[in-house]
Amino acid sequence: MLTVEHLTMIYPDGTVALRDVSFEVKDGEFLGVIGLSGSGKSTLLRCINRLLEPTEGRIIWNGKDITHLPQGELRTVRREIGMVFQQFNLVKRSSVLTNVLSGRLGYTPPSWALANRFSRQDRKMALNALERVGIPEKALNRADELSGGQQQRVGIARALMQEPKMILADEPVASLDPVLAHSILGYLEKLNSEDNITVLCSLHYLDLVQRYCERVIGLRDGKIVFEGTKDDIAKMSDERFREIYGEDAIRMGGL
Amino acid sequence: MAETKNLLASEHPRGSLLHAVLSFFVPGLGQFVSGARSRGFTLLITVLTLFGISMWTVAQRARFPEYAMATSVYFRIVLACAALLLFLLAIRHLLTRFVLKDPLAETFTMYGLVLVYFALLVFVGDDILATAVSAEQLSQIHAGTALYSAAALAALWLWQIGDAARIGNTKSLGTNRDGTTRFPSMAAAIVLACLLVFALGYNLTGVDMPKAIREYEDVGILLPRILWPWRAAFAYDQEVLEVVQKIQAPCTDEAAAPPPNPELDDDPWISATPTCGELSSRPVTGGLILGTELTITGGNFVPGQEVLVRWANPIGNPFTPRGMGETTIIIDENGEFETKLNIPDAVISPETATGAQVHSLIIRQESVLVFGGRLSNEMQLALVGLLETIMIGLMATFFGIVAAFPLSFLAAKNLMAPIMSAPERIAGNVLGLLAGGWAGLKVTDFVSAQLGGLEQAPVQIFLVGVLAVLGLGYLGLQLGGRVSEALLSRLGKGNGYWVASVLLAVMAGFPGYQLGLGFSRGIRSIVLGAEVAAINEEVYGMIGAVLVALVTMFYLYRRSSTRRVPIGLMLYAVIRTILNVVRSVEALIYAIIAAIWVGLGPFAGTLALTLHTIASLAKLYSEAIESIDPGPLEALDAVGANRLQSIVYAVVPQILPPVISFTVYRWDINVRMSTLLGFVGGGGIGFILIQWIRLYQYEAVGIAVWLIAITVAALDFVSSEIRERFV
Repeated sequence: MLTVEHLTMIYPDGTVALRDVSFEVKDGEFLGVIGLSGSGKSTLLRCINRLLEPTEGRIIWNGKDITHLPQGELRTVRREIGMVFQQFNLVKRSSVLTNVLSGRLGYTPPSWALANRFSRQDRKMALNALERVGIPEKALNRADELSGGQQQRVGIARALMQEPKMILADEPVASLDPVLAHSILGYLEKLNSEDNITVLCSLHYLDLVQRYCERVIGLRDGKIVFEGTKDDIAKMSDERFREIYGEDAIRMGGL
Repeated sequence: MAETKNLLASEHPRGSLLHAVLSFFVPGLGQFVSGARSRGFTLLITVLTLFGISMWTVAQRARFPEYAMATSVYFRIVLACAALLLFLLAIRHLLTRFVLKDPLAETFTMYGLVLVYFALLVFVGDDILATAVSAEQLSQIHAGTALYSAAALAALWLWQIGDAARIGNTKSLGTNRDGTTRFPSMAAAIVLACLLVFALGYNLTGVDMPKAIREYEDVGILLPRILWPWRAAFAYDQEVLEVVQKIQAPCTDEAAAPPPNPELDDDPWISATPTCGELSSRPVTGGLILGTELTITGGNFVPGQEVLVRWANPIGNPFTPRGMGETTIIIDENGEFETKLNIPDAVISPETATGAQVHSLIIRQESVLVFGGRLSNEMQLALVGLLETIMIGLMATFFGIVAAFPLSFLAAKNLMAPIMSAPERIAGNVLGLLAGGWAGLKVTDFVSAQLGGLEQAPVQIFLVGVLAVLGLGYLGLQLGGRVSEALLSRLGKGNGYWVASVLLAVMAGFPGYQLGLGFSRGIRSIVLGAEVAAINEEVYGMIGAVLVALVTMFYLYRRSSTRRVPIGLMLYAVIRTILNVVRSVEALIYAIIAAIWVGLGPFAGTLALTLHTIASLAKLYSEAIESIDPGPLEALDAVGANRLQSIVYAVVPQILPPVISFTVYRWDINVRMSTLLGFVGGGGIGFILIQWIRLYQYEAVGIAVWLIAITVAALDFVSSEIRERFV
């Protein structure tokens, strides 16, 4: 279970990205984070696994305060939390297999890296992970030979290698077309239901939120302005909608 | 409304007289007053600098120039040029006002005016000079340079007066998008300044076209030998037949004279009659008294080819006896010849010139040169030198890669910037590093003693030394950091920070002390002399130590809110600075130092080139690292990878193509550089090339140049092929 308490994040240039954000994610939940670009969604996700250091507040992961954990211990926390990125963040010149295997680095002794070595089990596990996301035949291709949707699946396979308890997905489908978006979110949903992995996913489109998320929080200018279930979104009034998306926003397709 | 007014104003800009007057007296002042501060300042500095360097250049005709005279003369020439230009401007003004009322013509007449102005200078320049200054003063300066630079300076001066007038009337100026006033372009001023600098450069570099054309023939003899030296690249065989007949001079006794050679059946022979006689002589009163005439016959030489008649005096110096008879004779079809020769005036030193002397008559037949199919000495030397050169380049590149690759990670901002550390840790890091390094040196000493000293096992000891110092240093760094952090954290967060800060400040005092000493020995000794400065240099050392410690303390005080220090950025800055300094000195200079250090030869060249290569490659590599996609790095951070893992799996795959490309390119550069390093004693082909140049052996020079050119071209091709494959 993840608890975020009074999280505030101010960038060195003075930009306030998050203001006093508090929420809770239960184990096995699929939580959506919505909001405009620049509303603090990415910052929030990156604060949770401390890719960014929050200025104030606490992050409690399974009962443990990880806000000020030193680097060595942080490693053991990070390897439990997978992350999927909007730009996939694959090493383009490396093979798909290497990219997937790199998800295992949190568990392997660092000195093995010098020999560029992974154990037989890890390799097996990587192939299994690729099979789960449906592209086992691409294992030896270079990552940049894959299409966008396939690359994101490699990203998910990499996260799977961590045997994560939670996956942070930072707009995982924003660079993909709608069909692929459903396919990728489908994989996340499957992991959520089959492996009981908690998913924290930031999304742009409300129809996707309604289709996949159980619960939603809405951010605007770094503050939580909405918190509710997916049914609340369907019932949301235009005023509430504008509170999240700004005065100029228009609702489409009844959502 | 306002915009229409602006447009109208810009169509007929009315300048501000006040600003023009200000700029007339002090260049740029008008602009400065009307708010274009940097523009005014730039103009002032430009005009003053240009005036200064022009005057200085112009005055250099005399060995000890009189700058006061040159300044006043130059100033007068500027005024004369300005007067000419003003006159032309006035004519143009009248023309555009009354004849050509077209705004387009106005622009074009401006270009025309500048052309006419400079064209006029070419033709009436002497008259302008004559009106401005006396002939005697002119003879003491570079008059041509003075004229053309003054012309450009005068134009620049007038331009900036006009500019001040235009800018003074701010209403006529447009505005930029961000609301600031848009000033007119300074292109004209830049062009004029460039013209002036060109005029000075023409003088300073001593461009002399007539000389280049007149004396071209001098290289005509040389050039073919350098351009096509290949005859000298091979050895040639030649058969030489030489037969000697002894001749005595003067005659003493017929019986004592050397006997005429006998006629031989198979071998070449010559014989002379008589075999003794009087030398020719040149009396002090002038003229030439011919010596005894010898009749020379010979046989068994190669028919149809010439023989040379030579004479050797008693101490054995051979020469060609000119004016005494035929000196080259063609052998008849039987291989025989007959000729007559007067005994020449074989000058010998007076001490030995007493009594009868035995001279030698030599008949020499050199056969035609025959291609031997073997490389000449020069060619062999050049080839060996070339191989050495390529190897110098190769070794320097290899050592460069080994040292530069790890360094480049420390010099990459994107990797170093996120590294923050607490002073508690840094204090222990520094102490641990020093202790580890010291222990490493001790281990090396011990191993060295066991193996019997550096000369006995240099490679083993070097390896042990590097591994021990680096390994133990790293161990100390890590261990020290952890221990000190653990110890200091017992004091409580705040106290630990301050104790660590004081510790760091004290540590910083040591380099501070050295800095103070350096100040005393470097700066103070310039004024006071080394001996006086040395008396109380410790005081300056202490002052330096205290100052640096205080600055460190103050800095840590400022950082006390975050309790962390951007140690990564600091390291980055230090390493980058060192790399830049090392890189900015040419490898040629290092080679001079290395030649003194390890002696002339290829090792000196390798050492020099390695140093330069490390710095350049580390810079290039680190730039490659800085330009990687940060995404994968972030992803691996999120996965829980540590720094080493991130580098191996996210950084290295991304930088591999540029790194290979840079390395091959550097190898290419290194081979080219190492050809030159030999000039200063760095070994390789350059080493023999410079000797051949000094010995005027132009064919050998040509061979070396050709070989270098071929190698460089081949290398260029190979390196671009390799690079293309990886990028």
